[in-house]
Amino acid sequence: MTDALHIDVPHTDGTRAVIALSGEFDIASAPAVRARALDLIANGHPDLVADLAGVTFCDSSGLGALVGIWRCAKDADGSLTLAAIPDRLGRLLSVTGMDTFLPVHPSADAALAARRDDRTTT
Amino acid sequence: MRRYDILDTPPDGAYDRVAALAARLFEVPVATVTIVDEDRIWFKATHGLEGVTEIGRDPGLCASAVLTDDTTVIPDTLLDPVACSNPLVAGPMGVRFYAAAPIITADGYRLGTVNILDTRPREINEADSATLADLAAVVRDQLELRLSALHVVRAEQEKRQAEEEARQRAERDKAAIAAFASTLQRTLVPPVLPAVPGLELACHYKTASPQEVGGDFYDVFPVGAGRWAFFLGDVCGKGAEAASVTSLTRYTLRAAALVDAEPTAALKALNAALLLDAAVGTRFCTAIFGLLDPVRDGGFTVTLATGGHPPAYHLSPTDDGGMRVEAVRAKGGMLVGAFAEAAFASRTLHLAPGQGLLLYTDGLTEARTAEGDMLADTGLTDFLAQRQVPVRAGCLIDDTVALLDTLPDTERDDVALLALSVPTPDAAPAGITTTAHSAAAPTAGASVGQENRRP
Repeated sequence: MTDALHIDVPHTDGTRAVIALSGEFDIASAPAVRARALDLIANGHPDLVADLAGVTFCDSSGLGALVGIWRCAKDADGSLTLAAIPDRLGRLLSVTGMDTFLPVHPSADAALAARRDDRTTT
Repeated sequence: MRRYDILDTPPDGAYDRVAALAARLFEVPVATVTIVDEDRIWFKATHGLEGVTEIGRDPGLCASAVLTDDTTVIPDTLLDPVACSNPLVAGPMGVRFYAAAPIITADGYRLGTVNILDTRPREINEADSATLADLAAVVRDQLELRLSALHVVRAEQEKRQAEEEARQRAERDKAAIAAFASTLQRTLVPPVLPAVPGLELACHYKTASPQEVGGDFYDVFPVGAGRWAFFLGDVCGKGAEAASVTSLTRYTLRAAALVDAEPTAALKALNAALLLDAAVGTRFCTAIFGLLDPVRDGGFTVTLATGGHPPAYHLSPTDDGGMRVEAVRAKGGMLVGAFAEAAFASRTLHLAPGQGLLLYTDGLTEARTAEGDMLADTGLTDFLAQRQVPVRAGCLIDDTVALLDTLPDTERDDVALLALSVPTPDAAPAGITTTAHSAAAPTAGASVGQENRRP
């Protein structure tokens, strides 16, 4: 039933990077996501797009990792944009009010294209 | 000799056979296997010599035989200056011939002798001496074998004992950790629910593991002027880190409510407190905060504010005997402690007699059914719609715990449940029923005081 989380970085471009997650984003996998994202920020890519299309499950630890990443990106004068959010995760982001803080886009490409406009929200 | 642990052991076929073999080979009436102790000669095996188990060392035939590495042969004892006075020789047995080969261990210790005795003088040749020495070597091998077997058995016993001690120590450690976790847990959630006039309250609390402090929390407490406040929430994370946030959360909400019981104000105060904390950035939670204001004609006005938490459910019986289940959502209401700009909103409802309110953490809605799907809001709504009317908090919690018990994978997360119901005038004439369920383990319906019981 458990579905290990895979973390990919399919795209980096200047300050931007896309971090793509697939599988269960929970207490077991959240630290790895956080570490990978902070690594990208530290390596000059503070404008992160989290492609969440493959996330099958996300709990409060997953949300916690997103908040932590958002905070670090902001401290590095960057941003965190969410892309391709599955329905259930979308409801979770809505319940927690995180969608009002984190820009959301239908796809990673759309997020990259719109990044400049969205930075005002970070 | 001590290490062979052979003295005074019961007769042993192997040594008896050596004695019998010696008697037959040499055609003598008596053959013995003796072990020489500090002050006695002990007969491990005898052939042709009944009722003798030991004799003194001095003066002894064996005693002198054991002192030499070679086979001792006394062809005629009466001609031997030492042997002639030996009781075996001078006594009724009248031993005239004696030969003995020492039993020499691998490391050179002489433990005893293999002896042959006859009542008439005789000679033995070199080959016979060697045979007697071989019999002594057989006894030596037998002793060595027995010793190594003893070593193995002892090592095995010691290993088993060490394992048992380690297991007991681990059990004690585990119990101590569980006891510590459960004690700490009691500082995070109230050990008993208070008795609120005109209200039935019930709760259930289960941590994913008895060794770990949960991140879920709830509380119910008076805020003065007949009003009561309650909250329930979930701290992101688990273990000691989550427990410290839970503790901060519980006391901040209690203190804030005493200053201003308005639910959004309490959540704002908590948001500020968590953001001011040194470990900011990793410490946040979701919470529902409610305020109960008694209504003169029965029931309560409930003001509910949500901080990023799944909605509470308001259960109200309909006129046709059914159950209306409404998710209580307030617009806005973000994760508490994550964003400085977080906004919180509240909603007001009337909790009338016969109605109930269920608050829960995501351990309930994210529990998987046997088919592998999450129970989710829809599953919970359907389940609540089938509850009996009028709503009773105790039954609601019992039913929900029973539901959790039917799900296969509920040890994944903590679960906290808090139910409130207003008794109908005909029911519970005594007024208050407080049903508290507290279980640190996945045990249905465990009462307060039972901790860490696992199936």
